[in-house]
Amino acid sequence: MSQAVTPSRAQVPLVGFVGQALAELGDAVVAVERCDERRGVARIDAERTLEVAKKLLAMDGSRLATATGIDVRDGIDVLYHWCFEPQGVVITIKVLAARPSLTLESIATHVPAANWIEREMHDLLGANFRNHPDMRRLILDDSWPEGVYPLRKDFDQVADRPPLPPVPPAPEEGVS
Amino acid sequence: MDTLLVIVIYIVAAAGTLALGLLSRWYDRKLTAMVQYRKGPPVYQPIADVLKLFYKETLVPATARATGFLLAPAVSLAAVSLAASILWAAMFARDGSFVGDLIVVVYLLIIPPLATILGASASGNPYASIGASREMKLILSYELPLFLALMVGVVHAGWTLRLGAMAASGAAVYSISGVLAMIVAILAVQAKLGQVPFDAAEAECEIMSGVYVEYSGPPLALIYLSRAMLLATMPLLLITVLWGGLQGGWGVLAFAGKYILLITLATLIRNTNPRLRIDQTVKLFWYGLTPIAVLAVVLAVLGSSWKISWL
Amino acid sequence: MALKNWALRKSLWVYHVNTGACNNCDIEVLDLLTPRYDIERFGMILVGSPRHADVLAVTGSCTRQAQPRLQEVYRQTAKPCVVMAIGSCANAQGIFAESYHMGSPVDETIRAVDPDAIIAYVPGCPPKPEAMIAAVVKAWDVINTL
Repeated sequence: MSQAVTPSRAQVPLVGFVGQALAELGDAVVAVERCDERRGVARIDAERTLEVAKKLLAMDGSRLATATGIDVRDGIDVLYHWCFEPQGVVITIKVLAARPSLTLESIATHVPAANWIEREMHDLLGANFRNHPDMRRLILDDSWPEGVYPLRKDFDQVADRPPLPPVPPAPEEGVS
Repeated sequence: MDTLLVIVIYIVAAAGTLALGLLSRWYDRKLTAMVQYRKGPPVYQPIADVLKLFYKETLVPATARATGFLLAPAVSLAAVSLAASILWAAMFARDGSFVGDLIVVVYLLIIPPLATILGASASGNPYASIGASREMKLILSYELPLFLALMVGVVHAGWTLRLGAMAASGAAVYSISGVLAMIVAILAVQAKLGQVPFDAAEAECEIMSGVYVEYSGPPLALIYLSRAMLLATMPLLLITVLWGGLQGGWGVLAFAGKYILLITLATLIRNTNPRLRIDQTVKLFWYGLTPIAVLAVVLAVLGSSWKISWL
Repeated sequence: MALKNWALRKSLWVYHVNTGACNNCDIEVLDLLTPRYDIERFGMILVGSPRHADVLAVTGSCTRQAQPRLQEVYRQTAKPCVVMAIGSCANAQGIFAESYHMGSPVDETIRAVDPDAIIAYVPGCPPKPEAMIAAVVKAWDVINTL
């Protein structure tokens, strides 16, 4: 099932190493937004996330550098940035986690580098990742309530702030 | 009356060693500052430190066993004071020392590290227990070479166990075995004082002061005092056993020079070396220094039985 | 209590707490130990445990995660002690005041545990080491009234 999202630009011709890599991903690529000598940006089908990640990991010289989450009107756009250091190339793969479920398949079991960054996206944006091996809170503090996602566009940084953590209870200490 | 006089002398000797210890702490910090191209603290700094600690409050953590925790520094200070008094008595009044007082002093000087382990284990803090286990390993590594080095002094003084006789019999250090024994003893003393490179038990940045992490106020002041007294006592022990003790006349100047030299060596070793890991420390003492100490004892025994004085 | 105040002034032991700083203030605190400023000649040394400390050098805007921990560290410091809030972040959370993950500022955090705490504010981003030494001198005046 493909999603109803229009590419931001028309399809661009696939040239060079970036074009080669994107061509290997086959029909999982819904739209190619940029294909330069050192930079490639492509949007892929949300159902084929894991397959694309496995293919990219299998390529020679690739590594997942980081991932970005963006709160857009249709859902949460997750961008995986893959580096190819021997060739000096960065390819960004965009996947949309559509509303209302905001769910994507987690790639963390096959790409361990994605483990923490997916936990962070869950903490701050509320993106859900199916089958994540270890979905615990990562960077928000222990007293932060569940279900409040601070980097969403509808979260007011000052007005929606949850109450501060309480003072820890005073233990019985012997004071002389 | 005689006993009373002896007791008064012991108390005066302990107080004198305390003052000497605080002065040595200042000298150590001033020399460190000069090595690091800074001005150091003023001469009254250790006194200010101790006074300030006495005026702070004592905090006993909820998970600690208060008895052992608070008793340990007092026991440590008492042991060092007694050891220092015996040493001074042996140095000043040669016949004031008794047979076997070397053994008494050595086991009194094992008590401060043991009290440290007791206090750290009673702290109820995981960092303190790491520090305590490291201190145990340290004791197991440096006590044997130290004792072997002191044996060299015993052999050179004619197989006597009286400190007074050792101090009177002339210097053991002017011989090959003596030099080896002195080197081993200086490094073992560095470990006993808990100074870099062997201060893995009280590693300030690594385990947040390890063994002393939960102490505050007057107990910490007692720990500070006992460490200062240990700093003054260990060179005294080395000089008495290995370097000829205190003679009259010009000997006083020579004694002061030897003492300052030993403290300076300890400080310079502290300033120019990084901290060793505990396994490196144990290996250094067992594989490096103990064989050297055994060699020194063997040479000393050979020298004493074949009447060769420079062995 | 002149002797007590003299001893406390002449021998301040510092424990450094970072409650979420960018480390610029921490670097400037480290400068104090170098030969140019050399606070050891005033008797101030860095200690490894808050129980040994008389001064808590707090840097960083207090984040939600650090807030209860700063309060615990303050409780574990033996009184009397001085809290030095170093840098604009520690004084009033600086440019991060409206961020979602901030706790209360350092002085409110400490005053929630101890309303009579002595807090010295050192403004700057980062403050110069001379400013920190000036703060210690001002703290001496408060210590003399203890």
